[in-house]
Amino acid sequence: MAFFLEVLVGGLLSGVMYSLVAIGFVLIYKSSGVFNFAQGTMLLLAALTFVSMTERQVDFKIAFIITLVMMVVLGIIVERTVMRPLANQSLLSLFMATVGLNYFLEGLAQGVWDSAVHGLELGISNDPIFLIDEFPALGLDIIISQFDIAAAVIAGTMILGLTLFFQYTRTGLSLRAVSDDHMAAMAVGIPLNRIWAIVWAVTGVICLIAGLLWGDRVSVSFTLTAAVLKGLPVILIGGLTSIPGAIVGGLIIGASEKLGEIYLAELFGGQGIEHWWAYTTALIFLMIRPTGIFGEKQIERV
Amino acid sequence: MYYREAGRLVKSFASDRRMLPLMEDRWIVIAFLAFMYIVVTATASDYLFSAILIPMMVLGVATLGLNIATGYTGQLSLGTAGFMCFGAFAAFNLVLRLEMYLPFAFFFAGVIAGLVGIVFGLPALRIKGFYLIVSTLAAQFFAEWVFNAYPWFLDNNSSGVVALPPHHYKVFLGQESTPFNAVFWHSYQGRYLITLTITLLLVLACKNMVRSATGRNWMAVRDMDIAANVIGISVAKTKLMAFFISTFYCGVAGAMYAYCYIGNLDFMIFNLRRSFLIMFMVIVGGLGSILGSFLGAIFVYGWPILITRMGDWIFGGGTLDTAFVENNSKIVVGTIIIVLLIREPGGFAALWLTTKKKLRSWPFAN
Amino acid sequence: MNMSTESKKPLLVLDDISLSFKGVKAITDISFNVYEGEICSVIGPNGAGKSSMLNVINGVYIPQEGTITFDGKQFNKMKPHTAAVMGIARTFQNIALFKGMSVLDNIMSGRNLMMKATFWETALNIGRAKREEMEHRLEVEKIIEFLGLQSIRKTPVASLPYGLQKRVELGRALAAEPKMLLLDEPMAGMTMEEKLDMSCFIQEVNRNLGTTIVLIEHDMGVVMDISDHVVVLDYGKKIGDGPPSEVMNNQDVIDAYLGVSH
Repeated sequence: MAFFLEVLVGGLLSGVMYSLVAIGFVLIYKSSGVFNFAQGTMLLLAALTFVSMTERQVDFKIAFIITLVMMVVLGIIVERTVMRPLANQSLLSLFMATVGLNYFLEGLAQGVWDSAVHGLELGISNDPIFLIDEFPALGLDIIISQFDIAAAVIAGTMILGLTLFFQYTRTGLSLRAVSDDHMAAMAVGIPLNRIWAIVWAVTGVICLIAGLLWGDRVSVSFTLTAAVLKGLPVILIGGLTSIPGAIVGGLIIGASEKLGEIYLAELFGGQGIEHWWAYTTALIFLMIRPTGIFGEKQIERV
Repeated sequence: MYYREAGRLVKSFASDRRMLPLMEDRWIVIAFLAFMYIVVTATASDYLFSAILIPMMVLGVATLGLNIATGYTGQLSLGTAGFMCFGAFAAFNLVLRLEMYLPFAFFFAGVIAGLVGIVFGLPALRIKGFYLIVSTLAAQFFAEWVFNAYPWFLDNNSSGVVALPPHHYKVFLGQESTPFNAVFWHSYQGRYLITLTITLLLVLACKNMVRSATGRNWMAVRDMDIAANVIGISVAKTKLMAFFISTFYCGVAGAMYAYCYIGNLDFMIFNLRRSFLIMFMVIVGGLGSILGSFLGAIFVYGWPILITRMGDWIFGGGTLDTAFVENNSKIVVGTIIIVLLIREPGGFAALWLTTKKKLRSWPFAN
Repeated sequence: MNMSTESKKPLLVLDDISLSFKGVKAITDISFNVYEGEICSVIGPNGAGKSSMLNVINGVYIPQEGTITFDGKQFNKMKPHTAAVMGIARTFQNIALFKGMSVLDNIMSGRNLMMKATFWETALNIGRAKREEMEHRLEVEKIIEFLGLQSIRKTPVASLPYGLQKRVELGRALAAEPKMLLLDEPMAGMTMEEKLDMSCFIQEVNRNLGTTIVLIEHDMGVVMDISDHVVVLDYGKKIGDGPPSEVMNNQDVIDAYLGVSH
């Protein structure tokens, strides 16, 4: 039981990280109706830029600010040059454009820097916390990674901040209007392009934070781009347009992944099920609710 | 262009429905095939066969397969390499366990991959549009995992890679170098001819489907599934059939990839990156175009080779390192995809058609 | 034409149909008959539930209550595919053509139910596959000629003007040789000339092929001109049902159109 809880808590904590990536997806999907496949590479680009600068003795804070500015500018450029000309195109071509962008950024990031594996140390302690005799009533001893908690707290703060921002500010209101109906939003004078630019810039920032956290955890290398593949089932479960959905989906995927790894892997002849397990979980959820948990069901008008 | 439709009387529906209605086009295609079969076979070097011609055709078939699902039926798939993997392993096991003659093994590998495709296509009946990529990605990861986790599929070889043994290229009739025996299969010419013939047959079959009810149903589902349903097209059946045929092509391509191109069986090759590369080939070449499938395969596969060659030629041998070539291709292909999507969503195939149209009235503007 | 409706046999019987979306009532307890061989117009102000009614008839929407009887068979749940098999074809308010296909292919696709060739026959282009393409092409050419679409046969429909697209959509519906044709605002947004053409096509189809027609139309001139039977809806309820002359003088109908102080 204690072991189960430990696995579950570990899973939920890593799920928060997934949620963070997923929220980037949701923001862009909400505002412009596209799944941004390039997000994984944006994450890599941010982390790689940061780590390459610190390796060249640039101060931690300065490196952070430079990368932050770069990501915001990148987001705005992408909006200008790729997404805006493709406005009103089909979902399929928008998605393909982000896949193309992904490929482009991959080449760029590794061309400008390199494709080596870099260690990243943010200064968060990696020692586990032992919760022994903390819950005498339950009689449980639980070991939890301190880094996981710190990462979850940072991610959670980001998520909370974003939620508040989009719930209580004018920009947030505009974004929700845009996601409801582009045309109507434009008709009442909401500057569509500016909203898109803001969303892409915010996504850039999310990528930076997520990239640093993931980079510290698994080191900065090409494998970081896999973040996109982790985030995908999360938002499919949660619903493509829902921020709460991204959070819940992240927790579900995080927990199910860890639990699956421990309890199900045996069934399937050993290791390595985590790649498809998340997708199978997502698939099961989708078969029950085809638009995700919080996704809106559309009535098709003819 | 110095010939055109104008002034030619079409006298029957049959002649109106020909693949190539213009006589000149037919001659061009016949001449091209004669060139491919006779001149190329007689003169090309082993390098040209093994590193350029065979892989381009094989990838072209896979691209065509993906195009059937995505370009013609509108079902996004990110599992192409996974389905190729199923095809390659199916062919290997059919030859290994049933001692099947290779062309039959290719065919049934396609059928097996097709059935797998139907299984992973089933969610398409309930989930729509973008959500479908979850099921095709699941197929991709499942393929990578299953052939790693169960060495049985690899004849209990734990290294993960098997060089395809010569006896797999089975002797069928006699010892002479005829298309039916191992000597033939082992020469690059032989593999080239087999690949060319299979590719040709698959292209013809695809063209036939596209210009008949099968293709119309695919496109109807792609363009507007509610309307398709209302005129009595079974959307579910059409989608599943498209998945079957699409993954059949991918499966055959996978089997050819293993047997005709690299000569070994390795699940690592059929990874997600390859799935994406094939999707790039579809986008660059043109969604819903047979010609485009091959143009896309030629460009995306050929670009890094071209860059390397150019580098060798300009700066002397071996100056460009692989990392540079790889990053360069990523940037170039990525840019081309974005530019094409913005300017010409029909890809190279559409560019070719517009060029043809412009040439007709050249030198006058049109 | 102009026969009293009672003497004819009903092709379609709608019985107490109610439809709602998430609690919002679109149609409330509507019953009416469409008789064989007639042109029946469904009219009413915007939002009266006319399009929903058509969608119920061919199974795009499934009503919560009521039954549909078509050609003697009773359905609680009509499905679009069943409707097509039973011989109901339709056009849509917002054109629902297959945008990436040519005019010819669009109309050919209307005959898909009559094509029996399997995919492998079409892949090899043998036997039935080849024969069917020729046979059905002949029928489709007749429709193309009737609608005057010869010159744009091979044009992709996306590049055609609105009026022609509507015509192609009618052609696709006709290609199925339906017993009943549902037309959702076939003349909306058309010029006077195009309207005239379209109402001629509709009447000719009705007269020469004997196809029963249910249409939604806002142009009262056209409705009164070509209909044998008019059904009036307002706020999802039926307020009038009968021959045009009778409906025109119905007080409820006049109120619904001109407004009345409650």
